[in-house]
Amino acid sequence: MLIALLALVGALIALYLTLYKVGVIGELVCQIGSCERVNSSRWATFLGLPVAAWGLATYVVLLGLAVAAIQGVAPRQVAWATVLVSGWAVMFSGWLTSIELFVIHAICIWCVTSATIMTLLFFASAIELRRVLRLSTD
Amino acid sequence: MAQKKAEQHRARRANVVRSQRAASLKPFYYALALVAVVGVALIVRTARRSAATQQRQVTNVAATAAKAEGHLLGNPNAPVQILEFADFECPHCAEYATITEPDVRKRIVDAGLASYRYFDFPLGHFENSIPASEAAACAGDQNKFWEMHDKLFQGQPEWNSQATSDPKKVFARYANELGLDTDAWGKCFDSQKHMPEILANRDEGLRRHVESTPTFVIGTKQIPGAIPYDMLKAYVDTAAAQYAANAVARADSQHSPAAKKGGAAKP
Repeated sequence: MLIALLALVGALIALYLTLYKVGVIGELVCQIGSCERVNSSRWATFLGLPVAAWGLATYVVLLGLAVAAIQGVAPRQVAWATVLVSGWAVMFSGWLTSIELFVIHAICIWCVTSATIMTLLFFASAIELRRVLRLSTD
Repeated sequence: MAQKKAEQHRARRANVVRSQRAASLKPFYYALALVAVVGVALIVRTARRSAATQQRQVTNVAATAAKAEGHLLGNPNAPVQILEFADFECPHCAEYATITEPDVRKRIVDAGLASYRYFDFPLGHFENSIPASEAAACAGDQNKFWEMHDKLFQGQPEWNSQATSDPKKVFARYANELGLDTDAWGKCFDSQKHMPEILANRDEGLRRHVESTPTFVIGTKQIPGAIPYDMLKAYVDTAAAQYAANAVARADSQHSPAAKKGGAAKP
């Protein structure tokens, strides 16, 4: 349940940043840091798509997996998939945050919040995987 | 028979467990839906507010001449003046310069509807923007300011402060590609001789309370943001109509009997 909630909040943040990137939202609400600078840099695009859109897709996949887990569909496979997807996303978020800190020299508070949510998601999914594996061996 | 009954019983029990589970999950799904609805509503509200702010930011200004000169394109006596305050390193300025400005030059400036002046407005957080202004001004000494202006905006990712801390190499390559006297250009760039003009251009923007780049002044309107061509043309048309109306009013007052009388009474 925690995983589903985190994935939903993350998806909303990613949706907000994606809408900004495609020009639907004119300005970002950014009290801390320099969101415009980060989101208009060349690192805000990955394989031709906005990084935020990749984030949105990842969160939607994680939300789907979390709902499947709640419904009790293929517990082991779903738990493994959640750990793998969130693990990959944590590494990607870490790389983006290091680019913000050491290359762009500007922080986007929404991006950092998303990275934090993704990290929490990874830990929550790792704990869930451990629980599922324990139950299936009992 | 007994086996069949047992199976039916098991199936019924499984159904009961499933429906009990679904019922216990209902509040959770409702909560999830609530979070989604609130989140989307917040995003829509922010988007609307941001659009409203952008519209409100257009301010009325007095149509006074600029104290700094900027860099001129077109006929200085054209009925409308477009002033652009921009930073060579700002991504939105590059977006405007590469997507919208070619149309503005061809269909407005070359058509004689307006003159165009570029004012350097280096923002503090872009480290290579003053050197870029200097590079363009030095190209201007050899009558190639606009050619360098275009190259700088088109190539922004290869010389901006994220890409390099020594942009001169890239600028020198542009100067060479434009066929400039590179020695003279290099000496000019190193001496920073255009710094006073760059700062004067920036001060003109500060005097007009420019807060972001690009910002345009067209007639009596000050418009922030990389506006699309149609919007810019609409402002030019409005300013041209105002200019024409003022010209007619002036002509009327000069030719009216009262004005003539007043003129005749003078010795």
